[in-house]
Amino acid sequence: MRYIFILLVFINFSLGQDPNGQDLDPCSDPLIKLAETKGIKAIPLKDMVRFQRLMKACQRAGGTEQIKQLHRKDWDRDYKKARTMASWTSTHAMCVFVSFIYFFAGKALATVPS
Amino acid sequence: MGESLVGQPKISVDLGIGFYEPTLSGFDDNQSVQFPTKGFFNRNMMINWGIYYEFFNNARIGYNSFTSYDIGKNILLLNSEAIFRRSLIYRMFPIETYFRWRPKIELNFTLAPIWGRGRIEMDTTPGDKTEDWNFFINSFGGNPDPVEDMGATDVMISDWIGYSSMLGFRYYISSRMAVDLKGGFMNNSYKNDKWRIQRQPVTGPTMKIDKLPIFSLKFVYGIR
Repeated sequence: MRYIFILLVFINFSLGQDPNGQDLDPCSDPLIKLAETKGIKAIPLKDMVRFQRLMKACQRAGGTEQIKQLHRKDWDRDYKKARTMASWTSTHAMCVFVSFIYFFAGKALATVPS
Repeated sequence: MGESLVGQPKISVDLGIGFYEPTLSGFDDNQSVQFPTKGFFNRNMMINWGIYYEFFNNARIGYNSFTSYDIGKNILLLNSEAIFRRSLIYRMFPIETYFRWRPKIELNFTLAPIWGRGRIEMDTTPGDKTEDWNFFINSFGGNPDPVEDMGATDVMISDWIGYSSMLGFRYYISSRMAVDLKGGFMNNSYKNDKWRIQRQPVTGPTMKIDKLPIFSLKFVYGIR
């Protein structure tokens, strides 16, 4: 009985809501703003659940287009940064590719000397 | 929270499975010890996990481990029916370069040195462990009865080095999550006379694990 009581108290506290935050616009939350300016990966892992809830709340509050833009900008940001290889990385990629071809061509074409 | 967080995940973890096809004739063709029957799960499939850090534009460095397991009960030895556990761990230290071919599709190129480790454990009857281990090791050939006394840890180990090269295809489900498919090869300089038990060199099972094609499928999560 005692453990059930403690569990109920714990659940009560963990599901408690901040009455001061209820009237705020979820689309203007600092986490949403951070994701818009720096990208979704700038959100700390510990805030990810809250961020997901905020996005849903923002969509319900009419911010569907804002959330779509947030995701689109994130994809664009990642794509622009990684679509061309920088400095020595293309040489590395070429070495890997050549070794890959050499190995599998050898597997397919090489014969055991008699 | 600076500019460094923009773009690809800087730190990512991944978990998945790997596939390859080694020839473990030391186990499969053993005349003295009846090892577990070879199958897809104990020969061809490996558990694969890793952690990567993006240290340069379009380049990651990290650690990636492929582990193949085999477990058998009631392995009949000289005096006891032992529980046998075997693992082959291919510990890779990859340098991976990549580019995004499409917004959600990445092609990546991996070169990795390998520090491999083979590990054989057995639970035998305490009073007969030296005889049982000698019987077990003799089944692989080499000098007869190499073990003189056993300690508390019943395990034989072998280390080797190698290298691997892989091409990969990664599909981003979201900016943090992705599925990664890789294919390539690995070359291991394994020698069956380089095993050790209780610091005593012994001969281990014959295994052909060089020039092996290898494939992996894993789920990637970007931490930040």
